[in-house]
Amino acid sequence: MTDSSSDCTYEEEYVFYKNRPHWKDVTPVPQDDGPNPVVAIAYTEQFREIYDYFRAILRSGEKSERVLELTNDAAQLNPANYTVWQYRREVLSHLKSNLSDELNYIGETISEHPKNYQVWHHRRVIVEWLKDPSKEMEFTNVILAQDSKNYHAWQHRQWVVATFKLYDLELEFVNDLLLKDVRNNSAWNQRYFVIIHTSGFTPNVIKNELEYTAGKIREVVNNESAWNYLRGIICHTESGNITSEEFIMKFCEDLYGTGCRCPYLLALIVDICEELFELGASDEIFSMQRALQVCDDLALEHDKIRKEYWKFISRRINQALLHRTTAA
Amino acid sequence: MDFNPKKHARYFLRLLNILPSHASNYDSTRLLLCFFAVSGLDLLDALDQLTPEKKEHIREWVYHLLIQAKESDGDDEVARWGFQGASTLILPPATGVIDNSEPYACGHVSMTYTGLGTLLILGDDLSRVNRKVVAAGVRACQQSDGSFCATLAGSECDMRFVYSAAAVCYILQDWSGMDVGLTTNYIMQSLVSHNFFQLLPGFTMIFLINHDDIFQSYDNAFAQGPGLESHGGHTFCAVASLSLMGTLHTMLSTRQLDGLRRWCMMRQESGFNGRPNKPVDTCYSFWVGATLKILDCYDLINKSENRSFTLATQDNITGGFAKWTSTDVEPLHTYFALAGLSLLKEPGLIEIHPELNLSQRTVEHLHKLHEQWTCN
Ligand SMILES: [Zn+2]
Repeated sequence: MTDSSSDCTYEEEYVFYKNRPHWKDVTPVPQDDGPNPVVAIAYTEQFREIYDYFRAILRSGEKSERVLELTNDAAQLNPANYTVWQYRREVLSHLKSNLSDELNYIGETISEHPKNYQVWHHRRVIVEWLKDPSKEMEFTNVILAQDSKNYHAWQHRQWVVATFKLYDLELEFVNDLLLKDVRNNSAWNQRYFVIIHTSGFTPNVIKNELEYTAGKIREVVNNESAWNYLRGIICHTESGNITSEEFIMKFCEDLYGTGCRCPYLLALIVDICEELFELGASDEIFSMQRALQVCDDLALEHDKIRKEYWKFISRRINQALLHRTTAA
Repeated sequence: MDFNPKKHARYFLRLLNILPSHASNYDSTRLLLCFFAVSGLDLLDALDQLTPEKKEHIREWVYHLLIQAKESDGDDEVARWGFQGASTLILPPATGVIDNSEPYACGHVSMTYTGLGTLLILGDDLSRVNRKVVAAGVRACQQSDGSFCATLAGSECDMRFVYSAAAVCYILQDWSGMDVGLTTNYIMQSLVSHNFFQLLPGFTMIFLINHDDIFQSYDNAFAQGPGLESHGGHTFCAVASLSLMGTLHTMLSTRQLDGLRRWCMMRQESGFNGRPNKPVDTCYSFWVGATLKILDCYDLINKSENRSFTLATQDNITGGFAKWTSTDVEPLHTYFALAGLSLLKEPGLIEIHPELNLSQRTVEHLHKLHEQWTCN
């Protein structure tokens, strides 16, 4: 909700539309909220008036400079009203307004409401009209500098990068973000997005990404984002199996050997054991007995909040073992 | 902290009456607030605190927002059909002037879902809803990629509106509101790849063609759209939609389901977060919790930790819940905190139907209506 205290100073100098000479010709149109409204809002006089004028304009269909101002006022009071933005776009298009100015304007509005869907949608349409993405990377940089996980900013950025093929510097940007915060899941996702749409996960890229990610995990072990990414890379190997990558098995074993008992590592070890069993390969290190032991360790010590989950996985493993025994 | 249902009922009753001026940024989605209040009271088993007169007022106001076909309507009107989020664009009749405002008054897919939900909770039989017409309005919002926009009058398209569309089609038992194959394809693209599925011409069925394609999501969960970061809210929208369409278990392999369960389970820290390395937030106790429920493994979560976190965000004086312990209560988090507690079977709350986000009692009422509709 907006801070109402700022309205007061604004209202001192504020001239109501009814007192503006150049709006004299417009008769405001009230809202029809039915005979017995519920969830009513105690509108300020200013809010009520601006929307009365907005309704009058929708009815008359006027598209002019003064209507542009009116949509600005209406949008400031409720940026979530998508019809206000839609009508504003129709006016802009009708007047053939300067869209660079509009881009600056919506940039300021987004800075004030960075988590509002409608303002981001407006920006996207303006960029589509301009067919010019030159301000977008810098703009999203600024928004992401304030909140590096802002979903709207990432969505806009991905759209720009994909639409205008601006992949070139994106991996560098991601690298920087991960240097600042290796736990930034949005940045890891962007890394994946860029690679998939550029080089793809070729055997060489897979090798590099595995090493990069393993390095990041060694820096900060308890980081789900990096572990998820590590497993994501595996989807792109020929078999898609974790156990086809010697590197992963060795990485896990080394880390375990250093005494690391982070839940993401242990979870991966369980999965490796299960996968080898399913593939019919027996392994002394990654055995089903070890998987059961690790599930116990997770449930009782290292990931207690998911105790029931790990007990469930244990039961699944026991069932698989039982099934194998009876089948044999 | 003790659960304080009476305070929350009063919070919702206040919400239904009048809101202060600083709630103006909710002006275009008042129906959503109305749904939170009415559905919240339903979950609290406190609907009897609304007088019959008040219930009637709510029902009339919700119907006031419904745009349906008129005799004179042409084809281009279809997209307008459905519930508006508020009366902001409802004008008194024009006298002696041409009215150009009509095309701007449009149904909104999510508001159609919450409007129908509110009516069902109040025991309405939807006899005043022209089901074919409302389904056609939803269908008009589907895009060629399978996603939905909220309204054709200037809206983005994504997973949220896919869910709303699926919920509306399920409630109306009229799947002419979407191309189910296309919708499923969009949802799966958010998880898997551009070329994983092929739509055969003239067919809405989907066929698996290639296992080696690009994986859009590397962590087994769903995003707001293809390529975006996996997210608890959008994962709920995707999974609940697949479940309502009846394609959850045909579309997702055992491996994918296991991966999805793991991702959801990993969201729990005390309450749940919505993405890895983000703070826990009360609303995800519902979004992620309901997803786990649909995936048949809700009982594996740590219920007492989840409950304690949610209750720590409760305001014992005004009623209501907040997103975090450090923030103020507001309607959305109040509603979803209760929805999350309802999944936990908190005493004093009615159980919630995870896919439809309505009480089981209301869904029973809906299923009775479905029987009547098929008999007629
Ligand atoms: Zn939340």
